[in-house]
Amino acid sequence: MEDIKKAILEFAEKTKKTKFYFNEMEKAVRKVLPDTKARAVKKAATALINEEKLIYFSTGSTTMYGLKGRGQTEDF
Amino acid sequence: MAFEPREEQKELKYDELRIYSDEELNNYTEEELKNFKIKHDIPMCDDLEKGPWPSFVADSKREALHRKNLAKDRMMIDCDVVEDTLGQLEESFVDGETHWKHGGIVGVFGYGGGVIGRYSDLQKKFPSIAHFHTMRVNQPASKFYSSDYLRSICDLWEYRGSGLMNFHGSTGDIIFLGTFTEQLEPTFYELGHVLQQDLGGSGSNLRSPSCCLGKARCEWSCIDTQDMCYELTHYYQDELHRPAFPYKFKFKFDGCPNCCVASIARADMSYIGTWKDNIRIDQEAVQAYIGGEIPPNAGAHAGRDWGKFDIEKEVINLCPTNCMRLEDGKLVINDKECTRCMHCINVMPRALRPGTDTGCSILFGAKAPILEGAQMSMLTVPFMRCEPPYDNIKELVEKVWDWWMEEGKNRERLGELIQRWGVPKFLEVLDLPPMPQMVKEPRSNPYIFWKEEDVEGGWDRKIEDYRIKHMR
Ligand code: SF4
Ligand code: SF4
Repeated sequence: MEDIKKAILEFAEKTKKTKFYFNEMEKAVRKVLPDTKARAVKKAATALINEEKLIYFSTGSTTMYGLKGRGQTEDF
Repeated sequence: MAFEPREEQKELKYDELRIYSDEELNNYTEEELKNFKIKHDIPMCDDLEKGPWPSFVADSKREALHRKNLAKDRMMIDCDVVEDTLGQLEESFVDGETHWKHGGIVGVFGYGGGVIGRYSDLQKKFPSIAHFHTMRVNQPASKFYSSDYLRSICDLWEYRGSGLMNFHGSTGDIIFLGTFTEQLEPTFYELGHVLQQDLGGSGSNLRSPSCCLGKARCEWSCIDTQDMCYELTHYYQDELHRPAFPYKFKFKFDGCPNCCVASIARADMSYIGTWKDNIRIDQEAVQAYIGGEIPPNAGAHAGRDWGKFDIEKEVINLCPTNCMRLEDGKLVINDKECTRCMHCINVMPRALRPGTDTGCSILFGAKAPILEGAQMSMLTVPFMRCEPPYDNIKELVEKVWDWWMEEGKNRERLGELIQRWGVPKFLEVLDLPPMPQMVKEPRSNPYIFWKEEDVEGGWDRKIEDYRIKHMR
């Protein structure tokens, strides 16, 4: 779990986009830790949300993830 | 089957939960309403009030007046919110475009859905709707409420939001329309801790499952839609609140093929109650329909004189599979050919009833996008038993999700993924054999492409030989 969280945070810091889809995060994790299951990535992402390191970004129809403090973090 | 709640349920009593007194709730007269003008000029909105139908503009004006007459400290957001909503709507009509901006990071802690950020792009002109976030409240199964519950949530939303609501959004939720960011967490707290009420799904989540009236009120229900809806809503809480899908995913449960929640048209996974055995026939009641003693369609179209009921014309000849006939005055159905369309049962409910060996058909892939048009779901599992704890159904759900999460592109619904990969691939994923009922239009397209290993003895035919004579 901790290594998946680390891989997610590294990706979230490095990626050019400030918001990304779940499967982009999943692919990035698999690059570092092949064979990681989607459910494990989800669990780790949820833990990071609860630790307030990641945030959800929702358009209403789709949801993306982002690193807290990067890109738009305030209301419009 | 008696309802067994997953957690202890408190009895909600409005008298203990109410925020407003009767005087505050009834704070204007009809006379005052007639003379009431909102602070913006809205001729085009006013026009929508004309005509015979109820109008949201008229409703909004009532609410605007009600808020105007409430003491300012009795509402947590500006009392002008409804007037500004109408004012901005008028501007949108004039400009021919919306003045709402959607999306953002608003939400309640730990949930990836249930709140949709919305902001005005005319905040200077309409400051009270600078924020106008929407909250989705997960409706109870079949939308059965007590009036104590309804009054309590109305008070809550008057106090913490605009007072405007939709009953219900197209996925089924109660929609709370319009509040400021600071009010989201307190509203969520009140809903969850006081009213025992969860938020629904939005974004790339499982959306709030919804079901028809089912066995609670409908004698046609072949499955306990409410129980299934409740069970799967609880079992898949994580999928409902923590988004990890490529896009939205909807479950809908219909007790019979009448499809009152339109699962076939709107759910990625539609559950439709059906029966395996024969339609139950009461021949005496059939005669009573023929003799005009019982009105057809339970009297539903009695507003006009349609002439004498004609069983040949109105039932037998309209059976889509031509599987009914009268034999010596008795109604006979060849049940093997019946597609369970419900027509005959709807017309003569006292004479015909669904069978008793019941379960559900499962269909996949419907969606109703505004731009590309609707797509109906495809019959995939003709019959499955539906008994608690529904392990057979959950197993199927998880096979589908695993595949879609792995292969689905961002913003690709399951139906589109099935189209992109083809039905044979989908069946392989589900580990189901192809069946004639699965083709898009039953019995009009006979082509199923078998793999050589699926056919006993294989074959020696080569596609190249075939192509020599049959060029593409
Ligand atoms: S879908 Fe069928 S069972 Fe459900 S309410 Fe409608 S008619 Fe009744
Ligand atoms: S349910 Fe439909 S298909 Fe079946 S016998 Fe009645 S009319 Fe025919």
